[in-house]
Amino acid sequence: MTKIPPALKPGDTIGITCPSSKISGDVAAYAAEVLKSWGLKVRIGKTVGGAWNNFSAPDADRRSDLQDMLDDPEIQAILFGRGGYGMVRILDGLNFKAFAARPKWIAGYSDITTMHIHIYHNYKIASLHSLMCSGIIPETAGGPFVTSLKNALFGMPAIYTFDSNPLNISGDCIGPLVGGNLSLLANLSGTVSCPNMRGKILLLEDTSEYRYVVDRMMYNLKRAGWLEGLAGMIVGSFTDYRDTSTPFGQTEHELIRELVKEEGFPVCFGFPAGHQVENYALKIGVPYQLKVEDTHCHLREKIS
Amino acid sequence: MSIIPPYLKPGDTIGITCPAGYMCRPDIQPAMDLLQSWGYRVRVGNTIDAQDYTFAGSDDQRAADLQDMLDDDGINAILFGRGGYGTVRIIDRINFNRFYLKPKWLVGYSDITVLHSHIQTQMHIPTLHAEMCIDLLYGTLDQSALSLQRALTGEKLSYQFAPHPLNRIGQSIGLLVGGNLSLLVSVTGSASELGTYGKILFIEDVDEYLYNIDRMMYTLARAAKLDHLSGLVVGGFTRTKEDETIPFGQTPEEIIADKLKSSGYPVCFGFPAGHQPDNYALKLGMPYRLSAGMDKCTLEEI
Repeated sequence: MTKIPPALKPGDTIGITCPSSKISGDVAAYAAEVLKSWGLKVRIGKTVGGAWNNFSAPDADRRSDLQDMLDDPEIQAILFGRGGYGMVRILDGLNFKAFAARPKWIAGYSDITTMHIHIYHNYKIASLHSLMCSGIIPETAGGPFVTSLKNALFGMPAIYTFDSNPLNISGDCIGPLVGGNLSLLANLSGTVSCPNMRGKILLLEDTSEYRYVVDRMMYNLKRAGWLEGLAGMIVGSFTDYRDTSTPFGQTEHELIRELVKEEGFPVCFGFPAGHQVENYALKIGVPYQLKVEDTHCHLREKIS
Repeated sequence: MSIIPPYLKPGDTIGITCPAGYMCRPDIQPAMDLLQSWGYRVRVGNTIDAQDYTFAGSDDQRAADLQDMLDDDGINAILFGRGGYGTVRIIDRINFNRFYLKPKWLVGYSDITVLHSHIQTQMHIPTLHAEMCIDLLYGTLDQSALSLQRALTGEKLSYQFAPHPLNRIGQSIGLLVGGNLSLLVSVTGSASELGTYGKILFIEDVDEYLYNIDRMMYTLARAAKLDHLSGLVVGGFTRTKEDETIPFGQTPEEIIADKLKSSGYPVCFGFPAGHQPDNYALKLGMPYRLSAGMDKCTLEEI
């Protein structure tokens, strides 16, 4: 069974760190104010507001900032500043011993997918696929998506209902949710972080990729066994796509459907998750029930 | 020891097919003229002039054209029209039984890396990493094209090239394997995944973001593809891209060298192969000697 980190209580401390690309101090400061309004204390890591090329800090500093927050018993959860690129550069240097003994929620998406899958595969600890500090701005702070992060952190089980998509493959399934950013998942194939997906619900989203590259990455997942025995699939958004001068001829959703339509598991397209404002919090490693019906889909966290 | 496909004799037939991106007939004419000037017959597959968006026909068409040429004893080698994208979409439909019994040289690079890697891993049959129809021009003195001609006729290939400041000095022997980095990464974890233990690995790439080259090198490292190489030969990393306005801060060569810190095998940057005018033929799956010296580097077929 997946270990579920304890839910936060008012007065708990949440750490903010940037393991990948840089974020301005102002953006983090606003997010910190919102987190404080939830009754949390906030610890700002030394990588926040820093810059080293496109990274927030050199590898060693990003690693030590995250390591300190993983180890510190006074920090009950970690919210990342943003994604970008850089998690894989520090991941194998992290020591998960204290974290595995005393799990805490770590929240993020995109480049953070590498860490989500690594700790699920190696330590069977749940983590949060959610927006980050970069997604907490005045326009979103009181809205449903930031609220979904708050609810997840404070232990309220999620029930999401959303419109059906014409491409959906109807059905009903239950399984632990595993996944995230397609580019990052494809880069885990064959590595020490690659999970067994049998019985799981696979979550996919991506941004700014060429359509042919999305197709190639989907073939990677298929040929590397990610789709074998899946319980179901949730496809989020594929935003800011790129295309070749001769068009690829299929949208991301269409090419994914083409690859999985014979597999026999339910698939929903257009779940509000990904590189956009509409990005509901989802618990990686936690069982959900997915119902894909004619007009609506339902995703419900299973309470053990 | 691997089964080496027979080298070509005058009058042999080379088949041309497009397993990935589309090409029209006029665009392969210069390559046909060149091959004929070398004394070969040419058979043009029915994927030439076929188009399905970016592909040279549907998956079914491209698979059937390649299958026919693999199975046809009247075709002695296959030269691919171009790369692009699409080989991975058909590879699992191809039946290699006949090819395994009667191997022939398959010639290409870029997206064709999927075939190189698959055939190396599954069959241990050498293939040719070399220019394709899209690169071949008739009537110009193209050293890269001549290296393909020498490879096809069975000459041993030996190259000397300039040293690079990031090279790691040394000598080694091993089977040469590899190809396009993006494609090698995209077959990782699959039946086409390249084994690199004890091998000399060759990599090249084009049009990639520097951060993505970094990420892909981490994938190779974390899939244990760089731990036990006999040597590493890095070709062109051309037309690299930067994200937004913030530089990544390292060149492709620096990115690659960084991932090798704990390993001791010889490493050569700047081998003249890849998506660039100089793209010398390399027999993948064949034994080579790599020598990275202070003044020069050599890669010679043994």
